[in-house]
Amino acid sequence: MLIYDIWFLFIYMFFVGNLIFVSKNKHLLVVLLSLEFIVLSIFFFFLVLLMFIDYDMYMLMAFLVFSVCEGSLGLSILVSMIRSHGNDYFQSFSML
Amino acid sequence: MNNNSNKMFFLFILFFSTLISISSNSWFGCWIGLEINLLSFIPLISNSKNLLSVETSLKYFLTQSLASINFLFMILIKFSLLKNFDMNNIISIMMNSSLLMKMGSAPFHFWFPNIVEGLSWMNNFMLMTWQKISPMILLSYYFNKNFLIFMIIMNLIIGSLGGLNQTSLRKLLAFSSINNLGWMIFSIMISENLWLFYFLIYSMMIFMMISLFFLMNMYFMNQLFINNMNFFIKLNLLINFLSLGGLPPFMGFMPKWIIINFLLINKFYFLTFIFMMTSLIIIYYYIRIIYSSFMFNYFKMKWMNLLMKNNMSLINLSSFISISSMILSTFIFM
Repeated sequence: MLIYDIWFLFIYMFFVGNLIFVSKNKHLLVVLLSLEFIVLSIFFFFLVLLMFIDYDMYMLMAFLVFSVCEGSLGLSILVSMIRSHGNDYFQSFSML
Repeated sequence: MNNNSNKMFFLFILFFSTLISISSNSWFGCWIGLEINLLSFIPLISNSKNLLSVETSLKYFLTQSLASINFLFMILIKFSLLKNFDMNNIISIMMNSSLLMKMGSAPFHFWFPNIVEGLSWMNNFMLMTWQKISPMILLSYYFNKNFLIFMIIMNLIIGSLGGLNQTSLRKLLAFSSINNLGWMIFSIMISENLWLFYFLIYSMMIFMMISLFFLMNMYFMNQLFINNMNFFIKLNLLINFLSLGGLPPFMGFMPKWIIINFLLINKFYFLTFIFMMTSLIIIYYYIRIIYSSFMFNYFKMKWMNLLMKNNMSLINLSSFISISSMILSTFIFM
């Protein structure tokens, strides 16, 4: 039985991830976590999409590699910020 | 940590990523190119010993990664709903929005002046010219005409009105860049060749301006008239600013002329009005800068003579090109 209500789950996950990204948080790490949550929702969406059309999963692996690269880049920027500011609070942004 | 080979490595990957993005035959390849672009640009701009630089790279990373993740999600939705040829629907609006956020176009422009303020001049040159190629070409593959015309109007108005209260040269060029983005997005809708022409001339003009500011090490407007500049440097500044504003007979007028020609032939009268009026506002604040640089605070200090340095021949050549290229371009057909 084909259940098409699964599409709503992806859009809901994506939307909630974006909502947390744009919300006012105290820590930078929450923003990076929300990015990873959006990546997770896209991963799920991609997986179900590729399964529906009986396609190979190679594109999914390539997507996973690039999104992990981006996540690690975010973490390295977090580390750079902690090295210079001492914490990752958003209130310590005073220059720009 | 200047002049190390890290920068060359990341610069090479930056150039390569744009080529990957624009020459791929699937939207997924485009997304991969945008990701590699982000991955290789961040090491170029981040320097962990400097507070300002850390904050700049963080803001850049957050906006760009959000935009490219949204872009990928919209690609998947487009793929699942099989909307490959119908360009005037809501999916194209969402895809265009994420690409516009990558470029720094209005209404997603709020990060752009802040980040431009935090970068050095050479990094700004990369940000304002090369980083715009890939999103704009991707925009030309799948755009929504009505949405883009609305975005163009917002770009023009925000770019012109935003620069009125700036004293930092970098933010001034950032708002000028937002305004020119409006012209460039419209030229995409006319023809790809015209976009290429506009983009090449725009990047040449920006290169001349940025190399002048870089050589003089100027970041703020009061540095323009408080030091003892040579007359030829001021003249070059005048020519570059007026060329960037799009005044004839300088080089910057040519692409705008072609776009206005198209607008008037096809009866886009309201859009022509907005293009013209916002250009006037931009020329106003350029002339305000040049006027005070030439005439008001005319300091002639004795101890800090900025003579013609040994790498000013490039600047003289650039002035010559700016003035004469319109006339010389008519000789192509002889």
